Amino acid sequence: MTALIELSNVDKTYNQGQVNEVRALKGINLEIAAGSMVCLQGSSGSGKSTLLAIIGCVFPPTSGRAAIAGKQLSRLPDRFLTLHRRASIGFIFQRFNLLPELTVQDNITLPLMPLGVGPRERRERAARLMERLGIGHRAGFPARQISGGELQRVAIARALINDPPIILADEPTAHLDHALSLAFMEIMGELHRDGKTIILTSHDQLITGHPAVERLIGLNDGMLHVP
Amino acid sequence: MNGLSRQLNVIDYSLSSLWRRRFKSVSVMVVFAAVIFLLASFQMTTKALTQTASRLLVMAPEITIQKMRAGRQEPIPVAYREKLAGIFGIRRITPRVWGYYFNETHAANLTVIGVDPRLMPLGEKLAAAIDTGRLPGDHEVVLGQGAEELLGENRMISLFRPDLSLKPLTVVGRFRPATDLLTYDTLFLPPDDARDLFSLPPELATDLCVTVANPSEVDTIAKKIAALLPGTRVLTRSQIEKTYHAVFGWRSGFASVCLLTALTSFIIFAWDKASGLTPEERREIGILKIVGWQTADVILLRFWEGVIVALLSFVAGYTLAYIHVAFFDAGLFRPIMLGWSVLHPRLRLSPGVEVGDVLLVLCLTVVPYLAATVVPAWRAAIIRADSALN
Ligand SMILES: Nc1ncnc2c1ncn2[C@@H]1O[C@H](COP(=O)(O)OP(=O)(O)OP(=O)(O)O)[C@@H](O)[C@H]1O
Ligand SMILES: [Mg+2]
Repeated sequence: MTALIELSNVDKTYNQGQVNEVRALKGINLEIAAGSMVCLQGSSGSGKSTLLAIIGCVFPPTSGRAAIAGKQLSRLPDRFLTLHRRASIGFIFQRFNLLPELTVQDNITLPLMPLGVGPRERRERAARLMERLGIGHRAGFPARQISGGELQRVAIARALINDPPIILADEPTAHLDHALSLAFMEIMGELHRDGKTIILTSHDQLITGHPAVERLIGLNDGMLHVP
Repeated sequence: MNGLSRQLNVIDYSLSSLWRRRFKSVSVMVVFAAVIFLLASFQMTTKALTQTASRLLVMAPEITIQKMRAGRQEPIPVAYREKLAGIFGIRRITPRVWGYYFNETHAANLTVIGVDPRLMPLGEKLAAAIDTGRLPGDHEVVLGQGAEELLGENRMISLFRPDLSLKPLTVVGRFRPATDLLTYDTLFLPPDDARDLFSLPPELATDLCVTVANPSEVDTIAKKIAALLPGTRVLTRSQIEKTYHAVFGWRSGFASVCLLTALTSFIIFAWDKASGLTPEERREIGILKIVGWQTADVILLRFWEGVIVALLSFVAGYTLAYIHVAFFDAGLFRPIMLGWSVLHPRLRLSPGVEVGDVLLVLCLTVVPYLAATVVPAWRAAIIRADSALN
């Protein structure tokens, strides 16, 4: 299988050249195959979120080469990173990052707005996803009025709305109870079967030990290690 | 990628986000509309007044001669006319008798003007200023609207002479509202009746009006008159006009300074609102960025929010200003613009709305407002996408 994500010698330094300089990633070499489901594991501060942000085209590495979905994105300016991100990446965040005052449907279709997708198509695409994730009856509710489990599905729907090949989730179950965490992994497993590439970060046993996870990648102080 | 539908989506989002923050939006709009209202009313009032005034100044005599003693005006002998007979270029000299009549019932001053309309420089214009009726003959009077309202719409009126005896007059006409700036509080009657009312002897008048054959000679003739008649003050129409403009200009200048201060403080307030981001707003922008909004999209969002707020306020403020000036005769500005006379001339102001004027107010309000809201939006828009990660 061809590698969808290829990192070689990737470094990420925050606040370079300043007193509060942090070397968050040091010489990362990593390949992730298309259609695989992997989990990044490591203690707090080991650089999981930073690595995920580079794979997710949020910022480029400070040095080294990163190719995501066939695109070299080392040193790409912000604008092009964003273009690439919205075409290839669906992000699910630990705290969901939904806008509480927006309706469920508007939250889900937020990524489609700058793409110029018209209101009718936005509604139809959202309706299909909401149906599939079982939140169709909540479409018109403001996000602040729905339950944690429903919020999680809204976050997933938003990540999927533009049908990206890569799904990233940063500690998605940190704020969920056992049942909701299981439900989340259930959906991830399904997406994986649909052919999506899925990358999670977690130190939750429930995720790292989940049967759907094909590969564990250990991080320690900004470097890879075999767990 | 379709640029137009992206634009429409951003507008769509701006509208819904203004609606979500409707109390904040409405409060900004109310303040902004009030500023625009003041500015536009002021502009329309000034314009309408200047137009009315310059229309009326045309009717002022080219040269007025007043007799002065100890720095005060006093009645001028009609016989002075003969002294000026030698000046070449004078067409006619008309004595005027005028003064103020205090109406005790209403504690208001009325202006009494006594001129023989046949001798008036612009007699035909005066006749045209009469709305209903005709020019007054002996023991007859034409009233301005305000005077008529005070004295009642009677056919006969009686006024007190200085010795408190009554002088009856027949009302034969009324001045047109459009000339109200000058005629509103006016009683117009033949000079002999005015003399009778003020107990002025027949050989005296209040002042003399000089009509000149060639307008370009007005200044020369005025100088000659002043030389021939020591102890008089000779005023030309352009001098009156200048004085008027100076006074009016000072008043409107003062008012515009006040208005610009209000505008400036509003712009600062808008800047403040736009640049001070609440944590929720920062979070919202971080989320928009990470789900794929570009910096330009966020700035566009702020821009459209600004445009919507500014245009709604502008339309509301301008419309209210028009209503204020056209239907309420600019009641708020009257004291500043016209000064306090006991009897306020209740002008019919007819504000003509011209594209240039609208654009001027637009440039003075909407453009700085947009600058004040969009420029700080840069700061908001460059919030990094990864701020939404933690
Ligand atoms: N924006 C930032 N500026 C400066 N330093 C940062 C920034 N983000 C992360 N760091 C630092 O980089 C290192 C790696 O952080 P990162 O968030 O990637 O770790 P993590 O493995 O996700 O930790 P956690 O499990 O606590 O989420 C940490 O030392 C952190 O303090
Ligand atoms: Mg993290």
